[in-house]
Amino acid sequence: MENKMVRIVRHLCMAGLIYFIPTPALTQSMTPSDSLLQQRLEEIDQKERILERKWELAQEDATAKSKQTAVAAAGKDGFNLKSADGNFQLKLRGYIQSDARFFGADDQDSYPNTFLMRRIRPIFEGTLDKHFDFYLMMDFGGGSATVQDAYIDFHYVPQMRLRFGKMKGPIGIERLQSGANLLFMERSLPTNLVPNRDLGIQLHGELAQGAITYAVGLFNGVVDGASADTDVEDGKDIMARLFLLPFKNNDGWLQNFGFGLARSSGIQNGTVSAPALTSYKTPAQLTAFRYRSDGTAAGTVIANGKRTRMSPQAYFYNGPFGILAEYVISEQVVKLDAANRKLGNSSWQVAASYMLTGQKLTFKGAALSNSFNPKENSWGAFELAARLSNLSVDENSFPLFADNAKSIQEINSIGVGINWYLNKNIKFSLNYEQSTFDRGAAKEADRVQEKVISSRLQLSY
Amino acid sequence: MTPQTKCIKSLFSFFVFCLAFTFSYPALAQKKPTTLLNVSYDPTRELYQDFNAAFAKYWKEKTGESVTINQSHGGSSKQARAVIDGLQADVVTLALAYDIDAIAEQAKLLPPDWQKRLPHNSAPYTSTLAFLVRKNNPKKIKDWDDLIKPGVSIITPNPKTSGVARWNYLAGWGYALKNNNGDEQKAKEFITKLFKNVPVLDSGARGATTTFVERGIGDVLINWENELLLIKKLNPENYEIIVPSLSILAEPTVALIDKVVDKHHTRTVAQAYLEYLYSEEGQEIAARNFYRAHSPAIVAKYAAQFPQINLFTIDDVFGGWQKAQKIHFSDGGVFDQIYLQK
Repeated sequence: MENKMVRIVRHLCMAGLIYFIPTPALTQSMTPSDSLLQQRLEEIDQKERILERKWELAQEDATAKSKQTAVAAAGKDGFNLKSADGNFQLKLRGYIQSDARFFGADDQDSYPNTFLMRRIRPIFEGTLDKHFDFYLMMDFGGGSATVQDAYIDFHYVPQMRLRFGKMKGPIGIERLQSGANLLFMERSLPTNLVPNRDLGIQLHGELAQGAITYAVGLFNGVVDGASADTDVEDGKDIMARLFLLPFKNNDGWLQNFGFGLARSSGIQNGTVSAPALTSYKTPAQLTAFRYRSDGTAAGTVIANGKRTRMSPQAYFYNGPFGILAEYVISEQVVKLDAANRKLGNSSWQVAASYMLTGQKLTFKGAALSNSFNPKENSWGAFELAARLSNLSVDENSFPLFADNAKSIQEINSIGVGINWYLNKNIKFSLNYEQSTFDRGAAKEADRVQEKVISSRLQLSY
Repeated sequence: MTPQTKCIKSLFSFFVFCLAFTFSYPALAQKKPTTLLNVSYDPTRELYQDFNAAFAKYWKEKTGESVTINQSHGGSSKQARAVIDGLQADVVTLALAYDIDAIAEQAKLLPPDWQKRLPHNSAPYTSTLAFLVRKNNPKKIKDWDDLIKPGVSIITPNPKTSGVARWNYLAGWGYALKNNNGDEQKAKEFITKLFKNVPVLDSGARGATTTFVERGIGDVLINWENELLLIKKLNPENYEIIVPSLSILAEPTVALIDKVVDKHHTRTVAQAYLEYLYSEEGQEIAARNFYRAHSPAIVAKYAAQFPQINLFTIDDVFGGWQKAQKIHFSDGGVFDQIYLQK
């Protein structure tokens, strides 16, 4: 802009001088006064050139300085502070989910209809001195304050990262998806059998340009589906996961096809006051299964030895279509009074999705480009979702270790949903999920079918 | 063993195999070719383009190893600052020893006696300063005294950021001292007048060339002899080189950055790279790019290219770089005093 101004001034000066030069002066030999005029013209030209050059140098200097200046940015990806060399960085992110759950065919009021703040999660993440990343995520959802994730990642070479702290255990594939990028409002039944957040140390990374993802770690060993901040006994779990995307670096339709296997193994021993066993929940997050527990040694089932989990898993995404499948089996030796038994519970799910508005789907969610703006006939993006899932409790659990009148033996669930992405930050979800149960009610009856309509407004940044 | 257990065990074996592959992958990865970063000053682009190609060929023939040399150029002091601030230079080839001293002193990346590690005080080639004027020399510039006449516009870079600018300044100061019987005050007045005639301060030698040649500013450019010879070669009709009656022997110096080469495991090749500058081929490449070589054979071969000039050294007149830097170019030094007055 200023450069243009300088040029304009230059041209005006030239035009002015030419105007005042008598025409004969241009055609006849130069007189002394003409020579003076010529000299003056050259001086003005030099001054103008000097001004332009100074402007250029000032621009170069400003550009060089801008490269040394820390960057503060705000946008649809959140808020970011970054040093000029990128070695120090702080990102402020987060998401809030406001839910409503309404149960149908519930004449006996078995299931409570409710509004709730499912997740309120501010996230602080960043980098210190290039090689150290940190991640801190709190959760104030449901009226309580929890540290969900708090870890430090040390990385010196891109293929290996060493993580210390509280993090997701690397077993369930759906568990590894961010809570803000889920297809359905609630994760499916297999997530009941995999660790949520655990404390430990994990080596992980990507190889072959992301075609191989691995993680292996030593953790306290939380019970199925749970998080914990401390361990009450010495037993630890080793967890490992290997996930392959064999065609990731090709352009074909299999580029986003991946499969893998995760496994954990450890010794876990509970006590009457801390049995080290879990309960399982329905898709509406209501408890459907729990081991016997009455606070006495004779009436409380406790973990008593080896626990293993294994989960083959896969996904495939191509254009607007995506499908994800996982199977989990969790085995644990349990004890009730003098009785010991190894019980194995298993679960699976298959979930498919399709972007009605054509956006590309990946494991990390939809690649959104258009925002809600009716004046420009833009309504955002719409996604259809469907899933089938099952959870089976080891039949040997009954009747000794669990009460059939209170705990189900099997859940079969079918769900459909629609997600409306108003933009990259706002998402509205509407889900319907119907679950049928085997046992779980008195007199060897089945628990009442669960039909839940849920909605969620999510803000993420 | 039940079929389910067998299946689990097979899957687990596969998993263990994949994990073993995962961890061995970095070791299996192909060895990358060696890369060096040469952080240099402004007008050496052409010199090191030629030299790097010759060295890569030589090294491949000698060791079978491929080497890629990346170049970075800018005002000498700015480049030294960048290395101090973390630029990962395997070698530096800067305009003056003081800038490498600064790297040794402030960042401790190489020992203080680095200059003793290579012949000729680690200066594989030398140069000097001269003047470039426009065709027919309209301002009739013949020597330093002509530069301080009113109405003469001089292009020289900023001594705070540029190596050649400091050489220019000291050459002028040395000339004034000699012509005024060593009177420092007269020398200061001379330099003050000289800088009053400088309309623009570029950050480096190449920037000053751009100002004079491409932007058409100024009556005279004071710059490296090698830079002026290059301009003259590219524009033989438009410019004339003026050799002053007295100038300074400029000694651009080179050094290995010990801590960086040890970190990159490039010490051997970096050392060979610098030593190759002293080889006959290295010396000829320098001379071909208008730098004054040390090799007697090359000096003789290119004698016609370099005019005879009376030269003094920085040690003779200023007592070395450390002293000259402190008095003239440190913050609040003589240059700041005269330039701020302007």
